[in-house]
Amino acid sequence: MHTGMNEWSTRLAALPDFAPPAQGWQAVLAARRRREAQASARWPLALAAATLAAAVGLGAWLQSAQRELAAAAGPVMALPVSEAIRAENERLEWLLATLPEPRAMRGSTAFTLAEIEDRLAFVDDRLSRVMLEPNAPERSERLWRERVGLMNSLVQVRYADTATTH
Amino acid sequence: MTRISDIQLPAAVVASARAGDGAALEAVYQAMAGPLYTLLRRLVRRPAIAEELLQETFVDVIEHVGAYEGRCPLPAWIRSIAVNRALMYLRSPWHRSLEWLDQHPGGADRLTGAGAGDAPHPDAALERALMTLPAVSCAVVWLHDVEGYTHAEIGQALGRTPSFSKTQLSRAHARLREAMGAQATVAEGTPCTPA
Repeated sequence: MHTGMNEWSTRLAALPDFAPPAQGWQAVLAARRRREAQASARWPLALAAATLAAAVGLGAWLQSAQRELAAAAGPVMALPVSEAIRAENERLEWLLATLPEPRAMRGSTAFTLAEIEDRLAFVDDRLSRVMLEPNAPERSERLWRERVGLMNSLVQVRYADTATTH
Repeated sequence: MTRISDIQLPAAVVASARAGDGAALEAVYQAMAGPLYTLLRRLVRRPAIAEELLQETFVDVIEHVGAYEGRCPLPAWIRSIAVNRALMYLRSPWHRSLEWLDQHPGGADRLTGAGAGDAPHPDAALERALMTLPAVSCAVVWLHDVEGYTHAEIGQALGRTPSFSKTQLSRAHARLREAMGAQATVAEGTPCTPA
């Protein structure tokens, strides 16, 4: 039997709802307090990082980022990302998916992978919120470029590890 | 199932929420929590992750509701935040590791323990078939078939091309048909006489 597109829509939409968590609003408020606490705890680190950045000549970059922050922009529902970046990200995701799952690996390799994956997670978190920030399209593009760079590193390390352990 | 696009919020509640009024924001949460949690469960599957994403979405709403300019209905704006967060999660290394675990025997069963599976329903076969799909394919199906996203929008949100979304959807439909056919065969072949 062929299930047409509309039939899929109808049947899927007819599936029952999941019950949302009890006391959900209180959990939201608690999550907000946690986020605020984390943000304030990051202040000294952010200050130190800014000082270091200025010392190595990245002051100009910071100023430009500040200008971007100051420029107010409306929310962007779908952020344009260049076709080339999307295609490269897709290629790297595919490459990563084709590599076999890692077996036992050297501690240094595991550490490097963990570092890259942590940075990827950080970039992904930023990307998930970038639509709410000023100059969202430009920031999104920059974050996607950073993501592609990290994915490239991840694939290279995983490939090298696969070549030596399989 | 309540569609997010069907949620109607009183104009006064939306106006107060935009001004940051706590009671109005809570009213928005109460109106949207069920459908939004259902959407997140369909996208990321794991109850704990869906709960966390629901919380994070509304923390974003509280902190950024001033940026909402009313170009689309407030529920649609909130949905876009939740979908964005969920798709980012699906791209994360943690999710990839968990999905690898789920591919092992009994893995997918761990995800069906609560929620819509709480009570039997007429299309339980479809529910089970959905669980056989990889998470990204399932997300593409849900966003396209239920939430009405276009392939261009899905490709954009996933950092992929529209053709990726089309291919995923086509393969997912085929796998759903196959899985449901297999279940029907098993059901028909099961002896119904008591042992």
